[in-house]
Amino acid sequence: MKKLIKKTLIMTMALILIFSMVACSSSKNDDADKKDEITVTEGKKNEEAKKKPIKLRIYAQYADDDTKVPYDYALDALKKEMPHVELELDVQAQDDGQKIKTYAATGNLPDIFQANLDIINTFKTSNNIMVLDEYVEKLGFKEKMHPSAMNTLYTDDGHCYAFPYAGNELVLLYYNKEIFEQNGVEVPKTYDEFLQAVKVFNSKGIIPLALFAKEKWPCVALFDIFATRLEPQGILKLDRGEGKASEESYTVAAQRIVELVKAGLLPKGATNMNYDQAAALFHQGKAAMFINGQWEIEASTEALGDKVDWMYYPAYDQSTYESTKYAFSGGGGPSGYAVSPRSEYKDVAAEVAAFISLKYAECKYTMRGNPIIATKVDAPIVKPYPPMMQKLAQDIPKITSTTAFAWGLGNAKFKAAIEDNAQKLLTGFYSAEDFVKDMNKLLE
Amino acid sequence: MHKYLKNKVAIIVFTLPALVVFSIIVFYPIIQTFYKSMFDWNGLGKGTFIFLDNYVRLLGDRLFYTSLRNGLIFAAVLVILQIGIGTFLALAVSDVTLKGRSFLRVTYFIPVVLSITVVCQLWLSIYNEELGLINKLMEQLGLSYRQHWLSSEKGAIYAIAVVNAWQYMGYHFALIFAAVKSLPEQYFEAARIDGAGKIKAHLNITIPLLYETYKFCLILAITGGLNAFANMFIMTNGGPGDATYTLTFLMYRSAFRVNEFGYGCAAAAVLVIECLLATIIINKLFGREQITY
Repeated sequence: MKKLIKKTLIMTMALILIFSMVACSSSKNDDADKKDEITVTEGKKNEEAKKKPIKLRIYAQYADDDTKVPYDYALDALKKEMPHVELELDVQAQDDGQKIKTYAATGNLPDIFQANLDIINTFKTSNNIMVLDEYVEKLGFKEKMHPSAMNTLYTDDGHCYAFPYAGNELVLLYYNKEIFEQNGVEVPKTYDEFLQAVKVFNSKGIIPLALFAKEKWPCVALFDIFATRLEPQGILKLDRGEGKASEESYTVAAQRIVELVKAGLLPKGATNMNYDQAAALFHQGKAAMFINGQWEIEASTEALGDKVDWMYYPAYDQSTYESTKYAFSGGGGPSGYAVSPRSEYKDVAAEVAAFISLKYAECKYTMRGNPIIATKVDAPIVKPYPPMMQKLAQDIPKITSTTAFAWGLGNAKFKAAIEDNAQKLLTGFYSAEDFVKDMNKLLE
Repeated sequence: MHKYLKNKVAIIVFTLPALVVFSIIVFYPIIQTFYKSMFDWNGLGKGTFIFLDNYVRLLGDRLFYTSLRNGLIFAAVLVILQIGIGTFLALAVSDVTLKGRSFLRVTYFIPVVLSITVVCQLWLSIYNEELGLINKLMEQLGLSYRQHWLSSEKGAIYAIAVVNAWQYMGYHFALIFAAVKSLPEQYFEAARIDGAGKIKAHLNITIPLLYETYKFCLILAITGGLNAFANMFIMTNGGPGDATYTLTFLMYRSAFRVNEFGYGCAAAAVLVIECLLATIIINKLFGREQITY
């Protein structure tokens, strides 16, 4: 019986080995053959592609009006510009990049896909993303970029991996003018005034600040707002490994958040609050302030009309208010539509990616009331900007510095840690000293 | 039986397909996980062999200990609630004098068949600090026991474990109930004749005779607790901060958020060893000959 079991096991193992070897070797051969084939016929295919109908797979955001409308707009324009190209949409999942990374690992990347800095950094080391420098030149994409948004086109290594459409988006601190007026609270210019406002609202049963802190990036944004009052580079400096969390700007930011939380800055259970819940508090007039990106302007204006506005972040003190008021949290980074190096029609895919990016930005600018885009737009504005956006548009040229949203950070380890620790700061059980210690340990 | 065992060809023919499939879908990934845990690997490409560095790093990582502790808390809550209450319900429903037994039997099992997302959303509403059922109930009763159920560093893991325990309590109930029903009636008749009441009979006859079932339930509850992921992923996303991390969550974070698949594999390998150890210990503790009636 023992012998039989032994034999069976040996046979099984041998079968598995043979199976694996055959599978691996055949796939290797296939890959090699394919590579040669693609190199030889690539030019020919791309030429033919311009004439015959071709289908490209695209992995893109398509979840709400802010993503569906621009995508559909770009698709309509593409049908007129390149009628022979058909796009097969694979809707991007909100899954920390699991799906796209799995596609890459299994060699199934779509021809075109949306990539942020994390994806770019991961994919470029494994040759899963195409360098687009040649196409930037060929298609004149660089000339179409806003000079101020050039940071969204090239990564630190000087190469372009994705055609951007979003500009340097910003974190805004929204407030309900009516609540401030009714409670005799001036719009705070300094941290002390901000703390005082929090105390006044609390004493009157009004939630000072609604924050959807279940998503961790708003927690990071809140920290960054205070950090940028003393260090304009904010979290970006730490992300790049150019600073330490024990520097005054970060220590003070952490201490101030702890102090504000103790003073009752946030609603109960804020760390478990999603966007809908937090936005409802602000839109229904139950919260005096709200933090979100500038894309919130549309929804807040719709809900609160002219009662809503955004304020400059509260300065470290009165003397630094003017000098730091245009130092914004948020910002852009290399991201946009990228191309798979394994695409059968690389040239066409790159051309389509560039075209889609341009049209996507055009739609955001003309129809979605968003002037913060990466590329220049000639088309007339269809939907006028709300007053808050007009105010922001006037301030954009005056902006002295931006940082980054949490999702735009390049150091994945730092990103995960700052997200966790910034959220912890909002719970009241985590001290500023522990925050600094933990962040410094990570940055070592 | 001996005749059948002699037919080696038949044994091979019948067991080989299952053995091959099992090896490919279970053993191969486990071996791969252990192998890849020795690499500095971002999930794409080949990675660099670093032998045990990921494990050394894991031992110095505060998140590892938080995850380990949370896994144990989760498992303990599951054992107490799922097996404890499961036993109580099974014994109650097995009582023939109880009215509405069929209804109760079905009711207890309903949460098991619900989607985990639905269950988590339901409990997110129940735990809501402003408008949630529990805090509102406390308010109505005039008690000042309003809790930050999911925002508390120490309490969140218990709150989440209760959700999992509630959902799968019905499964343990079904297992224990089936075992109770399979016990021979004559033991209970003898006990009744000897003057034992229901509680005494259950304590001295039913529960000791269910030991094989308890062994199975214990393995399920403990490994289920150590493996916990979906509940915290949906309800708190590991937060507040890292307060509800488990080893599975740490593995997910390392692999998909930090792009350190090798480190994630090391966390997974520790989890496999942990579950294996738990199973061995339970088998050892409950290691006695099977009872035959």
